[in-house]
Amino acid sequence: MTNFIEYLLGGLGSGAIIALMALALVLTWRATRVVNFAQVGQAMFTTFIALSIQDLTGNWFLALAGAIVAGAALGVVVQYLVLRPVKRADTSGAIIATFGVLIALQAGAGMIWGGDQQAYPQPFNSAGISAFGREWPISVYDLVVIGVTLALVVGLSLVFTRTNLGLSMRATAFNPEVARLSGVRVSRTLTIGWAIAGIVGAVAGVLVAPISTLSPNSFDILLVFAFTAAVIGGLDSLVGAVALGVGTGLVISLVTGYSDSSNAPVVALVLLALNLLLKPDGVFGHTSSRSV
Amino acid sequence: MTSPDGGTLLALDDIKVKLSGLQILDGVSIEVPQGKVTGLIGPNGAGKTTVFNVISGFVKSDSGSVVYRGRALKHIKAHKLTKMGISRTLQGVGLFSSLTALENVMLGGSSRVRSGIISQSFAMPWTDIETERLRVLSLAAMEEMGIADEAARLPGELPYPIQKKVALARALVSDPAILLLDEPAGGVGAADMADLERLIRSWVPARTVLLVEHHMELVMSVCDLIWVLDAGRVIASGTPDEVRNDPAVLAAYLGQEGAA
Repeated sequence: MTNFIEYLLGGLGSGAIIALMALALVLTWRATRVVNFAQVGQAMFTTFIALSIQDLTGNWFLALAGAIVAGAALGVVVQYLVLRPVKRADTSGAIIATFGVLIALQAGAGMIWGGDQQAYPQPFNSAGISAFGREWPISVYDLVVIGVTLALVVGLSLVFTRTNLGLSMRATAFNPEVARLSGVRVSRTLTIGWAIAGIVGAVAGVLVAPISTLSPNSFDILLVFAFTAAVIGGLDSLVGAVALGVGTGLVISLVTGYSDSSNAPVVALVLLALNLLLKPDGVFGHTSSRSV
Repeated sequence: MTSPDGGTLLALDDIKVKLSGLQILDGVSIEVPQGKVTGLIGPNGAGKTTVFNVISGFVKSDSGSVVYRGRALKHIKAHKLTKMGISRTLQGVGLFSSLTALENVMLGGSSRVRSGIISQSFAMPWTDIETERLRVLSLAAMEEMGIADEAARLPGELPYPIQKKVALARALVSDPAILLLDEPAGGVGAADMADLERLIRSWVPARTVLLVEHHMELVMSVCDLIWVLDAGRVIASGTPDEVRNDPAVLAAYLGQEGAA
């Protein structure tokens, strides 16, 4: 039983990061009805940019800020240069185009920064916290990651529910024509959606890099977990993405704890398959919201 | 607003539209006088909704021009219409099922909110002021319709006539100079018809109304001026009495349903 609780605690930090990446996938889906498989590529690329800033300045927070700016910019560029022209043709083409962007970003990063694994500095203590006379499998850094995730989720919820931009984004996702007639600048709203997703992905990248390593392909596995969480969460639901993201982190931690970490992706894919068989609209999704 | 007889607010000049090989509009010219209720009628397939789609930029005309406030509109962008004072409702209701009635109405005022992307993206406190202002305007528009009590409900929970009113409130909240109403009486029962007529008349002469409608009784009683389309051409125009007695109209349209 002690093991079980320890494994759960240990999975919270990585669960929060999976939640962020799943959130980014849901944001682009909600904006443009496209699953952006390049999201992890964008995050990898902006994390390399952050690492360059880190090497230059030695300031972890400045590097994070750089990643955020680059994440927004890259989101806009991908949406504007690739998605817009391709999506005019058809949606499945757009999804395949995001794979193309992923491959291009990974190749580009390899040419600029090399293909080797690089270490990303730890800004906070990553040792388990000692309290109540023992060491717990959760570190200060894990708490920071969970805190940042919570702050982003709360902030995004406020934007979506309290601002006119959020209203425009929700309306655009469901009926662009009516939104346009209501005076919403639809194409700009879509681009903003991609920019926000880019920011969330970039933050996830900088947060995960210190506890994994950084190479052009090192976030690929994150895509598997985040995609699983986003789909099981219903793809449309921010709450679903976060809940299932954290849940996926916990499951991985349990699988890793009781068996071996190499089994984790298999378990994730089995869960995904089960979900698609049993409840294809996701745990937090509902059919009507997708058929519009 | 200028005087009720401020001349022509909106005009179509020799508009031609061909869609997938069919000549939908074949040289349509109509004028919409300021401060009046103008009706656009005609049998199914006459091209009425296409006229609205041309005005709102959803359909490009092959030739001819749309003239608004004396200026020909080029490259009409749908999202700029409300800012120009043109507001349109859609056939049916076109409400967002996942937004509350109030949020649906607020959306119609998007062009009246000034705060920037950055401040909104970070939900800065002052964006609340702008959004709050929009909320007040929207509630006022709903109040005018007598549906303020339904503000927090989702469209799916509301009876159809109320949904229609939510759509009307959304069109009103941008404070339009002209309202393009696409079949506002569709699906509305007799009891609500008098209400609708009173509402539309209450907007003029402060606003101008262009109405596409099948319900002849409403058209004849609410309109100052009527244009009749048939197969993409204007076949008659005039006051309700003139149109009612026009032989071409009777033949093309009213004859089918019996003159109202």
